[in-house]
Amino acid sequence: MTQHRDTGLGPPDEYLEAEIHRLLAEDPSVAEQGITVVRRETGLVLYGEVESSHRREEILRRVAERFPDLPVTSEIGVVRTEAPTQIEQLP
Amino acid sequence: MIRIAAVGDVHLDEDVVGRFRPALEELPDCADALLLAGDLTRHGTEAEARCVAREFGGLGVPVITVLGNHDHQCDQVPQVVKVLEDAGITVLEGNGVVLDCAGGRLGVAGVKGFGGGFAGRCASDFGEPEMKAFVRTTTESADRLADALHSLDCDLLVALTHYAPVPDTLAGEPLEIYPFLGAYQLGQAIDSAPTALALHGHAHAGSERGTTPGGVRVRNVAHPVIKQAYSVFHLGDDLDQGEVSRLTASGT
Repeated sequence: MTQHRDTGLGPPDEYLEAEIHRLLAEDPSVAEQGITVVRRETGLVLYGEVESSHRREEILRRVAERFPDLPVTSEIGVVRTEAPTQIEQLP
Repeated sequence: MIRIAAVGDVHLDEDVVGRFRPALEELPDCADALLLAGDLTRHGTEAEARCVAREFGGLGVPVITVLGNHDHQCDQVPQVVKVLEDAGITVLEGNGVVLDCAGGRLGVAGVKGFGGGFAGRCASDFGEPEMKAFVRTTTESADRLADALHSLDCDLLVALTHYAPVPDTLAGEPLEIYPFLGAYQLGQAIDSAPTALALHGHAHAGSERGTTPGGVRVRNVAHPVIKQAYSVFHLGDDLDQGEVSRLTASGT
């Protein structure tokens, strides 16, 4: 992955978003492609659904490790695994 | 009536084992078969496949799957397939299977599929070798799906893929990534046969329901989309209207 030059300003938003997307997909300890990254004035917000709370924590740990100065908020949920209560009937 | 349970993109590893099992134990009461729409694992390792075998093996209903892109990540597809098959899970790739159910013979044809995009906004078999290889992967996969669908002698025909055959069930995903999520050639293959239902996964931010241009119902059963352990579909000529209703203990 191409590293950003240190301009003192940090990478432009779009490169930052791309870098986090690739980090989450390509890092073997994460391998998540469904996380959305939104940059707000208060910092980064991560959205999406994962299969375990361990994976959610790992995502936050890896992003914090790569961007230690960026405040990160998580809106990542763990997908429910209850049995369905309804069926879909398709004649 | 034939009852089909389905889910995709469960991405199993040690940290997920056991989460689905309580709901899966109810399957014999509410479904004739469970169809898995690929991405069973995180990286496609043999160890992760063993987690899938523990979670989805020995359920008391037939389990049929295709693989997804994640299941190819570590280049261990033969080992993954062997572990799944040893657990009694049928793995489809360009072939099909017919199950004798109480409501009739259920035929399921499956391929992983591939990307490429949808009519008018898709990649073409033209230019660099890499681009031609990309598009030919898609067309060959769609051709295998069509052949598999046509090869089955059954009362109810279902197409099972990982990649999406229509854009309808991608609604919610960014438009820019549609070509990485599915291809119209898969829909064309589905429409070439008397398919009753097409199931796919892969699009975690997509939506549940769509139809092919030929009118075949398409359902995106990716786990983050259905937000439950699996969905249950009842199909048959004896059903008089499409509806969503409560699931009772008898599954009716």
